[in-house]
Amino acid sequence: MFLTRSEYDRGVNTFSPEGRLFQVEYAIEAIKEGSTAIGIRTSEGVVLAVEKRLTSPLLEPSSVEKIMIIDHHMGCANSGLSADARILIDHARVVTQHHTFTYNEPMTTDSCAQAVCDLALRFGEDGREEDAMSRPFGVALLIAGVDEKGPALYHTDPSGTYVRWEAKAIGAGSEGAQTALQDAYSKMMTLEEAETLALKTLKQVMEEKLNSTNVEIAAVTAKDRKFRIYSSEELNQCIERL
Amino acid sequence: MNIDLSEALDTKYGRSGLSCEVGPDAVELGEEHVLTIPNVPRPDKFLSDSFKGQEAEVLKFAHGTTTLAFVFKHGIIAAVDSRASMGVYIGSGTVKKIIEINPFLLGTMAGGAADCSFWERDLGRQCRLFELRNKERISVAAASKLLVNSVSRFRGMGLSMGTMIMGWDKTGPALFYVDNDGTRLKGNLFSVGSGSTFAMGVLDIGYKYDLSVEEACELGRRSIYHATHRDGASGGIINIYHVGEDGWTKISSEDSAQKHYQYKAESTEQASAPMVTS
Repeated sequence: MFLTRSEYDRGVNTFSPEGRLFQVEYAIEAIKEGSTAIGIRTSEGVVLAVEKRLTSPLLEPSSVEKIMIIDHHMGCANSGLSADARILIDHARVVTQHHTFTYNEPMTTDSCAQAVCDLALRFGEDGREEDAMSRPFGVALLIAGVDEKGPALYHTDPSGTYVRWEAKAIGAGSEGAQTALQDAYSKMMTLEEAETLALKTLKQVMEEKLNSTNVEIAAVTAKDRKFRIYSSEELNQCIERL
Repeated sequence: MNIDLSEALDTKYGRSGLSCEVGPDAVELGEEHVLTIPNVPRPDKFLSDSFKGQEAEVLKFAHGTTTLAFVFKHGIIAAVDSRASMGVYIGSGTVKKIIEINPFLLGTMAGGAADCSFWERDLGRQCRLFELRNKERISVAAASKLLVNSVSRFRGMGLSMGTMIMGWDKTGPALFYVDNDGTRLKGNLFSVGSGSTFAMGVLDIGYKYDLSVEEACELGRRSIYHATHRDGASGGIINIYHVGEDGWTKISSEDSAQKHYQYKAESTEQASAPMVTS
């Protein structure tokens, strides 16, 4: 894949002659190591579903956070280096709160994705800026939110790109999952159908058998504009529908 | 001569290229959020220096308020008037002096209205971030400490704020007094503002821990009414809030002038009734 990388992959601010930034591309590769996360947008709201990789039976599943709340009306799922995700999500929380403080209104999903990507681009080698990072973040986010324009699903990656999707899969199983989503997605879906599709797609790409401890599901609905991570009972109900 | 413009244009931290001998020239308000302070050698002396000798004419901030709050068996009652006075001028008669920080926290407003509402809104932001990061509600003790830490950074620079922070947390109802000097006191009964002595007089007479919610609301209402009657800088609407286990609720919002005639009618009724005691 990278024929001439040996010379041009050392610095985060050096383009290769073909016009590529290899360190950023490697960061995107890191996401493909992460566990699968799926987001589906419907007119009723957005569903996020993630696989939790439980590396040991002694691991406490509730401590693995793959879906996090950003504000009342917004949340996100991540795939890749989860330590990096924490930094990005805390940044998102701070900017949404700061937005509410300044404008007395909830931040739009688009603005939040943009704010996260502004931080994602603050890497470089000179270290002039006090809070700049030495490397790109190795994590992708699926940001789900509802604002006056309705429900929206955004995908952000280490290059600082943010794009809106109807349905998107990231992580290790993303290729297979994205194809499955493309086949099954319809604009007319209900939120419940989206929950089922998300879990069904996850089930296809997961190595382990899907159960209520190794997946997590959350949704933000257009009706009450609240982002909520499902309880284990609600999750079991969704699994039973499969 | 070489002038480094990058330094001069660094507006994020409110710098303008001039150096500052004492204190930082901006104090960070949490992350991503800075408040600039006067760009002079002694920012803490800016206010008093600028208005030296003319305090009486110029330095007349909005003062004059009656606010009170007390803890009792069924939670906390907060009662306030609604007048904003600027000297002898009534700036507004419909000020919301109880600030709803979040569904479990209330703050009262006395002193500078702008200072109180700004810092209590900022407190709301900090409390929400605490909630998101720690997955639990902040305690009232911690919230009041955040506020006192915020205002302490501007100590002596002219902030004017006397507030009561109250709410319900894991420990039950809690009430704190916080002011711009950096004072933070936990207590069961406070009254703040120019009319506070009048309110406290009525409050002390009627206060018992075992009051019912209705009795407690009426005690708060009467205390504020008496303060609006005797203190020229207090008046307008009497607002009452109750803090219970499930958060705060607004109880009532009544005109103090109407209360005057109601209470007067009640007392003449009592006086004209036949005396029972010997």
